Amino acid sequence: MVKMVLDVSGLTVRRDAVIAVDNVSFSLESETDTALVGPNGAGKSTLVQALLGILPPSAGSIRVLGHAMGPQGQLPRSVREQVAYVPQSFAVRNRCPLTVGDFVGLGWDPPGLRLPWTGGERRRSAVAHALRQTHATNLADRLISDLSGGQTKRVLLAFCLVRPRRLLVLDEAQAGLDSQSAEQFYDLLFELRRSEGWTILQISHDLDMVRRTSDRVLCLNRSLRCSGPPDHALSAAQLEEVYGRGFVPYHHRHAP
Amino acid sequence: MSIETPLLELLQFPFMQRALIGGLLTGALGGVLGSFAVLRQLSFFSDALGHSALLGITLGILLGLNPTLVLIPFAVVFALGVNHLVQRSQLPADALLNIIYSSSLALAVVALSFVRSYRGSIHQLLFGDILGVSWLDLGLIAFLLVVAVGYLALTRRDQILLTLDEPLALSRGVAVPVHRLLFIVLLAVVVAISIKAVGVLLISAFVVIPACASRLVSRHFNTYVVLASVLGGVCAVLGLLVSGGFDLPSGPCVVIVQLVGFLAALALVPLCTVLGRVPGVRRSATR
Repeated sequence: MVKMVLDVSGLTVRRDAVIAVDNVSFSLESETDTALVGPNGAGKSTLVQALLGILPPSAGSIRVLGHAMGPQGQLPRSVREQVAYVPQSFAVRNRCPLTVGDFVGLGWDPPGLRLPWTGGERRRSAVAHALRQTHATNLADRLISDLSGGQTKRVLLAFCLVRPRRLLVLDEAQAGLDSQSAEQFYDLLFELRRSEGWTILQISHDLDMVRRTSDRVLCLNRSLRCSGPPDHALSAAQLEEVYGRGFVPYHHRHAP
Repeated sequence: MSIETPLLELLQFPFMQRALIGGLLTGALGGVLGSFAVLRQLSFFSDALGHSALLGITLGILLGLNPTLVLIPFAVVFALGVNHLVQRSQLPADALLNIIYSSSLALAVVALSFVRSYRGSIHQLLFGDILGVSWLDLGLIAFLLVVAVGYLALTRRDQILLTLDEPLALSRGVAVPVHRLLFIVLLAVVVAISIKAVGVLLISAFVVIPACASRLVSRHFNTYVVLASVLGGVCAVLGLLVSGGFDLPSGPCVVIVQLVGFLAALALVPLCTVLGRVPGVRRSATR
C-alpha cells in the first residue's frame, strides 16, 4: 500500500489572473486526518479544487497515490476512483427527481460509457451497505431535495463509501449544520475513517473541532503559513500570523 | 355528421400519416432533451434558440439555399456563441438571452421584408407546418432521436451528476465542458430540425412542458425521462388529431394538449405525494 497518499509541491493556482494559492507544498500520509484552516478568501477551496483536478494549476505538481496529475487535472481512472469529495453545499440544482438510493448508486457507477442497466445485484448490495454504514437506510426512498443539511451530509458520505476509497476531501463539512448535527456527522466520519482506512483532508472553520479531531493542521492564507500538530499550529501566535492581529477564535458551546 | 368520419378520412392521407409520425418523434425527442434542459435551467436557452432560428431561415432564403440545411449550422454556431457569451458575461443569463433572441427576431423580420420570392408565409415559420413534413424530415428526426437517446443513455451517470452539481461531477472525473457543449449542440440541432414542424414560437413548449409535467409526478430519474418523452409524443399525436378533427391550427393544438397534460400532472401531485409515503407502494431502498 502506498504510504504517501497525496504529495503537493510548489503548487500555484490562479483565479481570474489573481494568484489564489501561492507556492504551496505539503504531503498527506496514509490514514491521517489533516485540517486546512485559514480566513475567508485564503484560497482553501481553490487549493482543494486543484487537488481534485477541477482547477488547473499554474505551477507546481500534484501526485495522488504516486501518480502525477496532468496539467488539466487528468489522473488514471483507477486513481481517480480512490478519491472522494464532499462539497460544501449541495443544493443548487437538486430539484432533480432522484432518490437517495439512486444517488448513492451513481457513486458506484464507473465513469465513461456504460449501458444503464448494468451493475445489477452488485450495485444494489453496495448501495445498501453504504446506506447501512452511514445510518441512512431509512432515507433510501426519500428525494435528495427533501433532505435536511445533516441528512445530506450523511448521504454524501454514503456516496463516497459505496466504493472503496483512499482519500476523502471535505470542503467545510460542518457548514449549514447545527452543533448537534455537526457533532453527529464528525462521530460518523471518524467511525468510518477507522473502519475504511480513509486519509482525510478537510477544510474547516471550527477550530475547536479541528483541535479535537485532526492529526495535523495546515494554515493557509494564500501561501502556507504554518503546519504541524494542532497544539502547535493553532497556538495564539500562529493564529495571529494566519488570521491577522487581534484574532479571537470562536468557541462552540455544545449542550451537555 | 360525427367528427369521426372526417377524421378517419383524414387519416387515410399520407400527409396526415407523416404528420402523426412526425409529431410522435418530435414530441418524444423534445421530451428526452427537455428533461435534462429543464433541470439544467436551459429552458430559456431553448426558447432563444427557437426565436433566433428565424434569422437562420431568413439567411437561407436570402442566399437561395434550402432553409433547413442553412439552419442546422446556423443554430449550432449560434448556440455555441451564446453559450460562450453567457459563461463569460457578468450580466444575468436570462437578460442576455432576452437581448439576443429579441434582436435576432427583429433582424429576421426586417430581413424577411426584403424577400420577394419566398413561397411560404411568416405564419408558417412562426407556428410550424407539421402537415408539410416530408419522409426526409422524418428520417432526420428519427436519426436524431436515436442519437440523443443513445448518447444520454450511455453517459447516464455523467449526465445526472452534471445536472446535479458540476464540482461534484468534475471531482468524479466527468468531462463536464465536453458534455455541456455536446448537449447544447444536440439541443441546437434538434431545435433546427423541429422548427419546420413546430414553428419558431412553439418549439420551446415541446422542450419544456412535457418535462415539467413529468417532473411533477416522478421520483426516479429514469421514470422522469421516459415519462417526459412518452408525454411529449402522446400529446403531439393527440394535438394533431384534435387539430384534424376540428380543423384548427396544428402546432397550437399540440401545445394546448401539452398544457392539459401539465395541469393533469399538477392535479396528480398530491396523490403522488401520498403514494410516496405509503410503505410498500414505494420502491425498495436499493432496487
